[in-house]
Amino acid sequence: MSATRRTFLKGIIGVPPFLIGLSPLSLLAQEEGVLRVAASKPAGNLDPQKFSGLWAIQDLMFEPLINYGPGGTYEPALATEWQVENDNKLIRFHLRDGVTFQDGTPWNAAAMTWNLDRWLGKEGFSWMNASRLFSSYNVVDDHTVEILFKEPVLGLLNEFSYIRPSRFLSPKAVDAEGNYQKPVGTGPWMEESASNDGSNFTRFDGYWGEKPSFSRLEVKVLPDSRGRVAALRAGDIDIIGGDFLAPIRATEAVTLKSAGAAVIVEQGSTTVTVAFNPVRNPALGDVKVRQAINIGFDRAAIGKVLYKDLVQPAGNLFPETVPYSGKRFPVPARDVEGAKKLLDEAGWTGDGTRQKDGVPLSIEFVVSEEQLPGARSLAEIMQAQLGEIGMDIKIRSVDHASRHSDLPARNFDMALFLTLGAPYEPFGSIVGLMLSTYDNGVDGKLVVDPENLDPLVNAAMAAPADRIEATTQAIYDWLHDEVAFLPLYYSPAIWAHTERVKGFRMPATEYDLPFEGISLEA
Amino acid sequence: MGTLIAIRLRNAAALLVLATLLCFTLVVSAPGNVAVLIAELRTPKATFEQVRAVETELGLNDPLVVRYGNWLGGALQGDLGVSYKTGDHIGPTLGSRLPVTFTLVAGGACFAMLLSFALGFVGALWPGRFGDAFTRITALLGASMPSFFVGALLIYFFAVKLRLFPTFGSAGFSSWILPWITIGLLPAAVLSRVVRVGLEEAMAMPFALTAAAKGLSRRASLFRHALPNIAPTYINALGAQSGLMVVGAVVVEPLFALKGVSDFFLQGVLFRDFMVVQACLLIFLTFFIIVNLIADIGIMFTDPKLRRQGGAGT
Repeated sequence: MSATRRTFLKGIIGVPPFLIGLSPLSLLAQEEGVLRVAASKPAGNLDPQKFSGLWAIQDLMFEPLINYGPGGTYEPALATEWQVENDNKLIRFHLRDGVTFQDGTPWNAAAMTWNLDRWLGKEGFSWMNASRLFSSYNVVDDHTVEILFKEPVLGLLNEFSYIRPSRFLSPKAVDAEGNYQKPVGTGPWMEESASNDGSNFTRFDGYWGEKPSFSRLEVKVLPDSRGRVAALRAGDIDIIGGDFLAPIRATEAVTLKSAGAAVIVEQGSTTVTVAFNPVRNPALGDVKVRQAINIGFDRAAIGKVLYKDLVQPAGNLFPETVPYSGKRFPVPARDVEGAKKLLDEAGWTGDGTRQKDGVPLSIEFVVSEEQLPGARSLAEIMQAQLGEIGMDIKIRSVDHASRHSDLPARNFDMALFLTLGAPYEPFGSIVGLMLSTYDNGVDGKLVVDPENLDPLVNAAMAAPADRIEATTQAIYDWLHDEVAFLPLYYSPAIWAHTERVKGFRMPATEYDLPFEGISLEA
Repeated sequence: MGTLIAIRLRNAAALLVLATLLCFTLVVSAPGNVAVLIAELRTPKATFEQVRAVETELGLNDPLVVRYGNWLGGALQGDLGVSYKTGDHIGPTLGSRLPVTFTLVAGGACFAMLLSFALGFVGALWPGRFGDAFTRITALLGASMPSFFVGALLIYFFAVKLRLFPTFGSAGFSSWILPWITIGLLPAAVLSRVVRVGLEEAMAMPFALTAAAKGLSRRASLFRHALPNIAPTYINALGAQSGLMVVGAVVVEPLFALKGVSDFFLQGVLFRDFMVVQACLLIFLTFFIIVNLIADIGIMFTDPKLRRQGGAGT
């Protein structure tokens, strides 16, 4: 029997080479002249009328009628010009001539209306004003289309610049039943292949605009942010960044900078805020308590410690990069004595955790790391600093699914919210996060006050162009005077690239992928 | 021996049924509503009506027993369901990802075996000397460092600084070296102590003294007589460590951008994709049970006492 044991053990020795032999190994292949971009997840379903694909990847292939440019400007794209008439109830698009889809299908009124039929006025797209208020369209000629609406459409031009559902798919990219089959647009990049490891694109030589200077673009899926940073430093990846593509944390940006990588940090268009829920916690119904919280913590210290001074502390709902963002309010400075005095005046007194009528000043703060990396640390700093003025902040950290259940159900005392950012602003957040009659679905509301806030929002929505500034300012003034929410900081847009990438320009929104003007050094 | 293996197989099957029940219970008792996420995918501003419709469509309002029965029935026929997130069938996706995880764990196990024998033998050949102390410290370090830290260090030195290996991917042999070391270091550290201590105990047995008296060198004694004696203990520990490596893959796969089953599992957990989580858990548990079954059979082959006992004592 001892022979059996020895035979078995000899067999064991043969296992490692056998297993390795089974492995799907192949030699490394390196290609030159290819731009390699990191993404945190696979591109997914790229149908421009679905909502699961990566925005930035869709942006490579699908183009809008109007492009949302830097600072909220509108640039011609598949439409060379447009006119808004009849008090925002009609828009006439003049389509660009000589454009074809990547499969050779001509871009014209027929292709445009075929796409509009896939979403305009359909259920599931009513969150867009243009779809909810759609009446009909009228094909004037092969390159002119008018779209008519039942009521004036707020943010009309912005909506036609969105990546989805407003961009255009080739009518031949669907099956006989009209189901999406493959991503074919008019953009400068054609999808070559896609898998869980990433997507590969080749340049569309028939592109109407300025063609990229390099012929291939590879998007590599790197789910771990440390892995992305290491890949950039090692030169395995050329570009990382973008909130929705391959986010870079502030500490990682500092590391990359010190390692010699080109790190670009610019003012973004998103604001990190905190909502109050006075219905669940009556203490928060007192403006003095809200103001005590507002001046009870140090925004500058949070920016310095957590975000390495890459974020700008906020005093407003929107940064100045957002159109109609209003006059600038001063960023609240920390004032411990002032905060304590306010709480005393509000009747919350005592050592340690303050009390009123025997009830401790205890507040539940709901945060989610998936919504905002570092949210827990941010909440802990606020917890410690607000503790010094006698508040007991209890942090509840939830995941993506729980956040989307708890926030709309108002199952929080305080909670982190992010504004939507360009190109959805300012009305995307004003209406979505503040108008009580608008169903914001699973994202919930930042501020709810049907009596005081809704009339202001409705007035801004109905205002003619020359009254938008004044009516939106009335909203901002009310929010500021009531301390209806806490603006924390404006999120920066952070991108990094290797030395071989030249001519990098920050994209206009966090939803775009920057490739225009880029050249690659050999 | 045949009876013994049959009993083990029966126990493994019973364990598997229990495991399916456990993973189903764990998944359904997790907080958060997947219907919210799916409704969000269909329209960015999903209303509560749309969320309720998704719940009905997926049968999320059915009694748990019915849901468990539906899932288990499908799984027995090879149908692991459809991903809530992507709408794709889970079976083919798992099929494409299994080789990646298999390569990672198998390579990591091989690395662990090779390193553990090397460290264990060095310590046993020169007990109390520098080599022994060195291997002891190495094992202590290896067992103390979490995988994500080891992986980050390896990437920094060997990929970023020295540029010897790629930082991510599974495109070639060289891209597997760092993941194998990352996942295999901790088991190697544990197993090296099993080898070292096992050899020391074996060398204290009378047969080793007899071998030495007959003029056999220490090295020859270790290889010829002591090594077969530690086989049952080593195989047992290797089985347990291989199972743990699958858990370690949840950290290692995302770090090296390997698209294996563990990465799929992680995505499923983040999205509350019950079907994916259940399927992956089933794969993990099946793997764990099979590895331990193989280890048990291996122990039977290498332990003369067990073989002589037949089915008794199991």
